[in-house]
Amino acid sequence: MRRSAGGALQSMPDLPELNPVVHGRLRLALLSLLSGVEEAEFTWLRAKTEATDGNLGAQLLKLEEAGYLTVKKKFVLRKPQTLYRITETGRQALTEYVQALKQLLGPAIDA
Amino acid sequence: MQDQTSEQELKERLSLIESMIAEGRRHTESWGWTFVLWGLVYYLAIAWSAWGQRVWAWPVSMLIGVIVTVVVASLKGGNQPETTLGRAVGSIWIALGISMFLLFPALGLSGRLTDQHVFVAVIAALLGMANGASALILRWKVQLACAVVWWVAAVAACFGTDAQGMIVFLAAIFLCQIVFGVYGMIADAQERGRRAPIHA
Repeated sequence: MRRSAGGALQSMPDLPELNPVVHGRLRLALLSLLSGVEEAEFTWLRAKTEATDGNLGAQLLKLEEAGYLTVKKKFVLRKPQTLYRITETGRQALTEYVQALKQLLGPAIDA
Repeated sequence: MQDQTSEQELKERLSLIESMIAEGRRHTESWGWTFVLWGLVYYLAIAWSAWGQRVWAWPVSMLIGVIVTVVVASLKGGNQPETTLGRAVGSIWIALGISMFLLFPALGLSGRLTDQHVFVAVIAALLGMANGASALILRWKVQLACAVVWWVAAVAACFGTDAQGMIVFLAAIFLCQIVFGVYGMIADAQERGRRAPIHA
């Protein structure tokens, strides 16, 4: 792996591209959180990421549009609840992203 | 994209994934308060039965414990997501609660709860089983240490005098309920304090 003077990784033909939808910090955190649970409420995701409602909603929408999440809305004791669940495509995208990261980092992963 | 991405940033992404997956799966530490609560319930029941209410002390104390647990749990974690791991650990503790709730009142009401050694040994063995199973599922050494303390207490309760058996029981409650519960609560608070907001 070649690096520039500033430590940036040089693009090489055999190195994988990182999925830009997954690469965003908040979107990556959301996919990782949802990969460990069956489904999660908006408020739980907000508490875990400490993101603002607007930012969180926007990033969740991007993931939903990419087909990485499904959304279910329901009422519990007359209170609205929005539940998010990772899809198989989302799980696959996260797995591929981790593999690409590991490939890009190479031996530096343990450093 | 990776042209502009530094090695440090890629490593940070990897550690973000690991921490978020762990966050989703982290459950037992958030239940530290229940260990403290049930430790106090056991102490209440022991003190009450020492005053002479042997038949009603345990069932009433446990009923109080169940009510407080249900109320506090619903107030604290109404939006907690379900995980396979969480359901497995939860099932063990619910099954333990039902077993104790049926067995001990039945023994008390039938008048067969006369041998204190057997009583302490059964409770300690049940708690050792539940802690041991949780610890093995969660791969949590601290909880496994609690299970070992309960198993030792179960065996020790079969020997010695009534007073010695009671001291072993009280010490095991203190270590495995109060100390372990407080440790869980501190670990949970520290974990929450370490978390920084995640921006897009």
